[in-house]
Amino acid sequence: MTDQKSLPQRIRAHAAEKPDGIAMREKNLGLWEPVTWADYWDSSSLVAHALLSLGVEVGDRIAVHSENRREWLFCDIGITAVRAATVGLYPTNPAAEVLHVLADSGSRLIVVEDQEQLDKTLEVIDELPTLEHLVYLEPRGIVGRYDDPRLMSWEDFIELGRQHRSAHPDALDARLDAGRTDDLATLVYTSGTTGPPKGAMLTMGNVEFVLETLQSGEAFINPPASEKDVIVSYLPLCHVAERVFTTWFNAGLGVQVTFAESIETVQQNLREIQPTILFGVPRIWEKIAAGVQIRMSGASRLKRANFALWMKVSRWIGRTLVERHGQHTLGTKVAYAAGWVMLYRALRERLGLSKVRYAASGAAPISPEVLEFFMGIGLPMFEVYGMTENSAIATANVRGRVRVGTVGEVQPGTELRIDESGEILTRHAGTFAGYWNNPEATAAAIDADGWLHTGDVGEWIDGTHVKITDRLKDIIITAGGKNISPSEIENSLKASPFIKEAIVIGDRRSYLTALIGIELDTVGEWAQQRKLSFTTYRDLSRKAEVVELVQGIVDSTNSRLAAVSTIKAFRMLPKELDHEQGELTATQKVKRSAITAQFSDDIESMYTKAGR
Amino acid sequence: MTSTRLRGRPLVRTSYAQDMSLLNTPAKRRSTILIIIVSFLVPFIVTDDLLLVLTLGMISAVGAIGLNLVTGYAGQVSLGHAFFIGLGAYTGAVLGGDTDASVTGYGLPIYIWLPAAGVVAALAGLLVGPIAVRLRGLYLAIVTLGLVFLGDHIFRESRSLTGGPGVGRRGPDLVIFGIDLEESGVVLGLDLAREQRQFFMALVFLIIFAVLGRNIARSGVGRAFSAIRDRDVAAAVIGVDLTKYKVMAFAMSSFFAGVTGALYYAVVGVFEPSAFGLLLSVQYLAMVLIGGVATISGAIMGALFISSLGRISGEIAHVLPFISESSSGSGLLSVFQLEAILYGVLIVVFLIFEPRGLFGIWTRVRNYWKGWPFSY
Repeated sequence: MTDQKSLPQRIRAHAAEKPDGIAMREKNLGLWEPVTWADYWDSSSLVAHALLSLGVEVGDRIAVHSENRREWLFCDIGITAVRAATVGLYPTNPAAEVLHVLADSGSRLIVVEDQEQLDKTLEVIDELPTLEHLVYLEPRGIVGRYDDPRLMSWEDFIELGRQHRSAHPDALDARLDAGRTDDLATLVYTSGTTGPPKGAMLTMGNVEFVLETLQSGEAFINPPASEKDVIVSYLPLCHVAERVFTTWFNAGLGVQVTFAESIETVQQNLREIQPTILFGVPRIWEKIAAGVQIRMSGASRLKRANFALWMKVSRWIGRTLVERHGQHTLGTKVAYAAGWVMLYRALRERLGLSKVRYAASGAAPISPEVLEFFMGIGLPMFEVYGMTENSAIATANVRGRVRVGTVGEVQPGTELRIDESGEILTRHAGTFAGYWNNPEATAAAIDADGWLHTGDVGEWIDGTHVKITDRLKDIIITAGGKNISPSEIENSLKASPFIKEAIVIGDRRSYLTALIGIELDTVGEWAQQRKLSFTTYRDLSRKAEVVELVQGIVDSTNSRLAAVSTIKAFRMLPKELDHEQGELTATQKVKRSAITAQFSDDIESMYTKAGR
Repeated sequence: MTSTRLRGRPLVRTSYAQDMSLLNTPAKRRSTILIIIVSFLVPFIVTDDLLLVLTLGMISAVGAIGLNLVTGYAGQVSLGHAFFIGLGAYTGAVLGGDTDASVTGYGLPIYIWLPAAGVVAALAGLLVGPIAVRLRGLYLAIVTLGLVFLGDHIFRESRSLTGGPGVGRRGPDLVIFGIDLEESGVVLGLDLAREQRQFFMALVFLIIFAVLGRNIARSGVGRAFSAIRDRDVAAAVIGVDLTKYKVMAFAMSSFFAGVTGALYYAVVGVFEPSAFGLLLSVQYLAMVLIGGVATISGAIMGALFISSLGRISGEIAHVLPFISESSSGSGLLSVFQLEAILYGVLIVVFLIFEPRGLFGIWTRVRNYWKGWPFSY
C-alpha cells in the first residue's frame, strides 16, 4: 500500500513530517505537558509492538477502559496499527456492562486506567475465558495487592514493546502497511436505551471516509480545521462523537488535543485552554448555560442589571440570527459590538469560549432556547447529526445557512432520504459493517441497497435542511390516536435551568403526563435564596414551593403546545437518575423502560386520580 | 516549534517558572510598563515642592519594603526599624559627609557610603536576629522597642558623629556619576532642577529595591518567610531553618532601612538624633499596614501616602478656618496636630475596615473587574 491513509499511517506521517510539533497536551501537577508527534508515534508503536509480542493477530479485539488521556490515543493507534480493533468502555460502566462488552466482543486484552476500573473487570473475569491480559495505567492501590498472573503494569507492557521492537524492528511496518480498508478498526458499543448494548463495527475504510470528509473542508468547519486549532477532549472516547473530535480530527488535520483533567473540571480547563473548536452534547451546553444563571444570581446588583440588559439584546440578536440563518444585519452587528465590550467578551472568556470558532452540539436533540443563548453571545454554534452506525457523518448546519431546530444540511458525499414512514435513511462509505455477532440487528439496520435505517423520524425543511422529530421507537401514540414526539416536549421543559430530566409518558393513554427531575444545583441555589431549608435531593424535590416552581415551568411549556400534547399532570423524581442503577445509559440517555417500570406507581397515580 | 506554550492563552502553564515569574500575567506586564513610563514623566508635570514630597516618599518606600519583608512576609513584628534607619543615616553621613565640618566626615563617594550604610544596618540586624528566634509576637515587639531607646541614647551621646540633640549634622553629599543632585543645571540635554534630579534618583533606587524585594519575596527565601509567618512550628517541621530565616529577614530588612536612612537625610539636608525615635518606627509600621501587609506595591503606596500626609493636612488647613498653619497660631488645631490626628485615625480606620490596606482596596477593585460579568 503506497498511500498513507489509514489512521496509524497518518500519525506515522505526522511524526516524520514534524516530529517536534505538538500533538496533544495533558495536565500533570498543574503543568500542561506537551506530547510531540514523534512521542505520539513512538508510544503508539511501542504499544503495537507489545501487542505483537503478546501474539495479537489481525482482527483481534483489545479493550480500553479509561478516562480520556494520552494513553487512550496511544492504545487506539497501537491497536489499529497491528490491525486489531479497539473496544472502548465508558469509565462509568458498571461491572455488569463491562462483562457484557468484554464477553460480547471477545477481547483478548484490556487496558484499564486504575484500581477502580480493574476491580470491575476482576469481578467478572471468571466469565471471560478469552481475556488473557490486563494492563493497568495507574499503579496506585494495585501494586503489591493483586496477584492475578494476567496483570501487567503499563511500564512492563511498554518494555515488552521495546524488546520486541529491537528484536523485530520491521514487524510493525510490515503488519501496518498490509492493512486493508475492510479491517475492523473499532467496535463502538451503542448506549442501549432499549436492550443490551450492541457493538457497531467500524472498519478502517469507514474511518478513512470520515478523515477525508473532515479534510475536504466542506463538512463541519469552514475553513477546515488545522494545526492552529485546539480541542478540549472530555467526553468519553468510546463514543463515536468524541472519537471524531479527538482522535480523528487530530490524526486527519493535526488539530492539537488537550485532555480535560476530568468531567468535573471541564469548565476550568476550558477557561485555561480556550479551545477553538468545541463539541458538546446538549447536556453540557445546558449545564454551561445554567451555570451562567446560577453565578449571575449571586452577582452584585449592577452586574445583574448589566447582564439582564445585554442578555435582552443578545436574545434579540439570537432571534434575528435564527431568522436570518446565522447572518448578521447592520443592526445586530452594532448591538453585538457594544455588547461585546460590556458583556459578551468577558462572559465568553470566563466560560472558555472566547476563541471558539466552531461549536457543535450533537448526539442528542438540543432545545432551541439553549442554541439561541449561545448564538446570542456570539458563539458560532451549529447543531450536527450523525450516529455511530454512519460514523457520525450525516448532516450538519453550516456557517451562514443555520436553521435552528434542524440538524442542518446533508454532508457532502452523503446520500440521505426520508422514507414513507418518516424514517431517515443514509448511505455513504462510512456506513458501518454491521453489529458484532448480531446478524439480525445488522439486517434490520442496513437494507439490501446499503441504506442505513437510522431509527430517527425526520422531515425536510425547505428541501435542504433536515429536522429530526424523534426516535422512531419513542414516538407516543395516544389513546386518541395522535402521534406525539415526546422529546420535543421534554427538551422544551429541560430548557429551564431548574429541570434536569423530563420524561413524557402517554403511550396508549388518554393524555400526557411527565416525570420531572430537578437540577440540584440551580434549585438548591433558588431554595437558598428563598431561605427554604432542605436536606437531600428527595426532600428538596418534595417541597411544595419546588413543585409550584416546576408547575410554573410546565404551564409555560403547555401554553406553547397544541392541546393534545400538553402535560396534564406530573410527578417529581425522588432521586437523581444514575448510570450505575441502570436508569441512564453511559451517555446519560434515559432508559425509558427502566424508568416506567421503576416509577409505575407514580405513573398510575397520575392516570387514576381524575386528571391530577 | 521551539516554544511549548500555547499562544494567547496565559492561563496555560507549561512550566512552574512561568507561574512564579515576576510579572506573571499580561495585564501586570502592561500596567507595570505604563506605571514606570508615567513615573518618569511626573517631574515634568508636577511642581517642585510636591516633587520633594514624592521623592522623600519614594525613599521611604524602600524602607517600608524592608520592614514589609520582616513584618509582612516573615511575620516578625519589629518596632526597631527607626534604629536601623538611624544607623544607615549616620553611616552615610559620616562616610559621605563634608571633611571640613565640626563633626566627623570622610567625604567618600556615594558608591561607598550608600552600600556601607546598608551593610552596617544589616550587621546590626544580624545581631538582633537571634533574639527573634527565641521570641515572637508581643515579646519581640517589646524587645525591638528597646532597641529604639538604646539607639536614641547612643545617637544623642555620640556628639562627634551626630552633632548631638538640638544641633544635628548634614547628611552626605549627593553626587552620582559626577552629577551633583543638589544643584540645578543641564543633564543629558535636559535642564533639570534640583528636585527633578533628586526625583529621578529616588525613582531609580525605588525600582531597584522594589524588584529586589519582589525577587526575595517570590523566591524560596520569601516562601520560607511566609511559612514562618503562617505557623513557625509547622514551618520548622517541613524543614525551614527558623534561626537562619529569621536572622536573614532581619538582616535584609535592616539593609533596606540603612539605605533609606542614608538617602533620605542626604535629600533632607540637616537632621538631628531625635528623629530616630519610636514615632519613626510607628510611621513605617503605618506605611506597611495602610499600604498592605506582605505586598511590595502596597508598601510603596503606603509610603507615598504617609509621606504626603503633612502636605495633605496643610491643604486641609487652607480650607478649614479653625486650623492654624503654624504651631503657635490661633485656632483649635495646628497643622501638626491635625497631621498626628489624621495619622492615628487612618491607622484605626484601616485596621478595622480595610486590614489588607490600600493594596486590599486595589485587589477588590481588580477582582470586581476580573470577575466581570460574574461576582465570583
